[in-house]
Amino acid sequence: MSDQTKSWLDSRLPLAACFRAQVCDKPLPANRPYLSALGTLITGTLIFLMLSGAVLSAYYVASDHGAYNSIQFIMRNVNDGWLIRSFHATGTTMLFAAVYLAIFHALITGAYRLPGELVWGLKLAFLLLMMLVGYLGYAMQDGAVSHWSLHDVTLAGAGLSSFPGNISNWVLGGPAGHGTLGHVAMMHGLLTFIALGVLVLHYYAKQAVAPVAKKTVPLHPYYTSHHFVAVSVYVLLFAVLVFFAPHLGENPLNAAPANPLLVPAVMTPPWYLLPAAAVTHALPGTEGGIVAFFAAFAVLFAMPWLDRSDPRSEPGFLYKLLVVILGLDVIALGMTAAAGPSTINAILMIIFIGWYFLHFLVLTPLVTARESK
Amino acid sequence: MANAAAHAVEDGVEAPAKRDFLKILTVSAGAVALGATAWPFIDALNPTTAELAVSNPIIEVGGIAPNTGLRVMWLGQPIYIRKLTPQQIADNQAVVPSSLPDPADYTDRVKPGYESFVVVVGLNTGISCELLGNSPTDPRGPLDGWTCPCDGSIYDPLGRVRSGPAPKNLAIPRFTFLNATQIQLG
Repeated sequence: MSDQTKSWLDSRLPLAACFRAQVCDKPLPANRPYLSALGTLITGTLIFLMLSGAVLSAYYVASDHGAYNSIQFIMRNVNDGWLIRSFHATGTTMLFAAVYLAIFHALITGAYRLPGELVWGLKLAFLLLMMLVGYLGYAMQDGAVSHWSLHDVTLAGAGLSSFPGNISNWVLGGPAGHGTLGHVAMMHGLLTFIALGVLVLHYYAKQAVAPVAKKTVPLHPYYTSHHFVAVSVYVLLFAVLVFFAPHLGENPLNAAPANPLLVPAVMTPPWYLLPAAAVTHALPGTEGGIVAFFAAFAVLFAMPWLDRSDPRSEPGFLYKLLVVILGLDVIALGMTAAAGPSTINAILMIIFIGWYFLHFLVLTPLVTARESK
Repeated sequence: MANAAAHAVEDGVEAPAKRDFLKILTVSAGAVALGATAWPFIDALNPTTAELAVSNPIIEVGGIAPNTGLRVMWLGQPIYIRKLTPQQIADNQAVVPSSLPDPADYTDRVKPGYESFVVVVGLNTGISCELLGNSPTDPRGPLDGWTCPCDGSIYDPLGRVRSGPAPKNLAIPRFTFLNATQIQLG
């Protein structure tokens, strides 16, 4: 590029200067941990999912009879279609692993506390959106399980139709439901873009409340090379899963086509939705499930105010231990949902859900108030 | 401290070749990995083998009797393959191109070496109706070519428009002669 073109562009759209200020020379604290690369990994994975999803959408047919067959066509006929689909499915697994880890990290370090409450809220909003997008993507496969799951969930939407608006119609695409998968596919794409917007807001909110660092280093080359290590490990794990476990955490029954006349024996969602699925079974009825799901998120959103400690203090040992127990509790909750319905499971599920709410509503305020004294 | 300073000198000044080499190696490995990842995305947008199989069909034309035509569907359009009689060839070679609504020479409408075969898209260039005239019993118009049942446009056996609302000669699809009796479309 000639100097004249350069100065013409710079005076109208200062891209180079912006890139230098925002990326190359951006001052960052000198002592960030490897986990600080999670934001980069999550954003990168989301963009990767958008790209692979865009390619898949060129062949996916969003209709009752077309969806399952079009996925078989992608797996068998489209050049590298099996690989792109594996990228998309495994990318979802990697994204949820990173998001759950980020949420856990924020909980255990107390990063949700004031003035970080909005950063925390945006993290949870992103998780909520990703759960919806992940669920819709699962439903788009129109397999033997996801077909019936969508049937149940759209009935949940129908349960909400007494509210203003008509959520059932938006999701079902009309009373007969023939447009359902088309609506699901539309929402799957739309919510992804909204989630990307939430990530951008999260980035700026985090910058606004970041404490002033004593010693800073420029992003490049310090954190580019630092993140390069994290990205390499992440990509290695990603590649291993893509090639050796492309269907990780999926219900094998869902590989069969949907049968509207046969309800599958085990209705397990993908692994990243298991704890949420368990929570929706906590209260009876469709509306009960919705209330329980949003209550589980509400206590998370309320964390900055449930924590009674001084925001500048280091979280105490007992609190950290409780967060670890909470993590195990959520994993165990997911395992009860994966195991299918039985009496012992129903009891365990109630215990684990009970512990979850006990942790947030009772233990957290008590322990944080005590430990900050 | 002294150790660190010595290390910096070794890395930064005394061993610049080593650092350059590592940098080039890392960047090239990254570029190769990026390219290898991008390739399946692009390749997935290429036509599938199933599509390629139907997009370049081979048509047997040896059995077409002179003065008759064959109709094959290709990419959703009717393709007309007409074998001309020596009389039709002579008549049309005598036509002066500048006297036509859409001037075209005989050689523009056929492949060299296979002057008796005319391959066209059988859709009128005015109103898109399918033309009549492949069989000698169809209404072929005064020039023994094709006519349009919708707007009455008249084409000669080479597919050149001679009269009627149609403004242009019939389109010629992409094709090649594999030998004297086979053509491949596309």
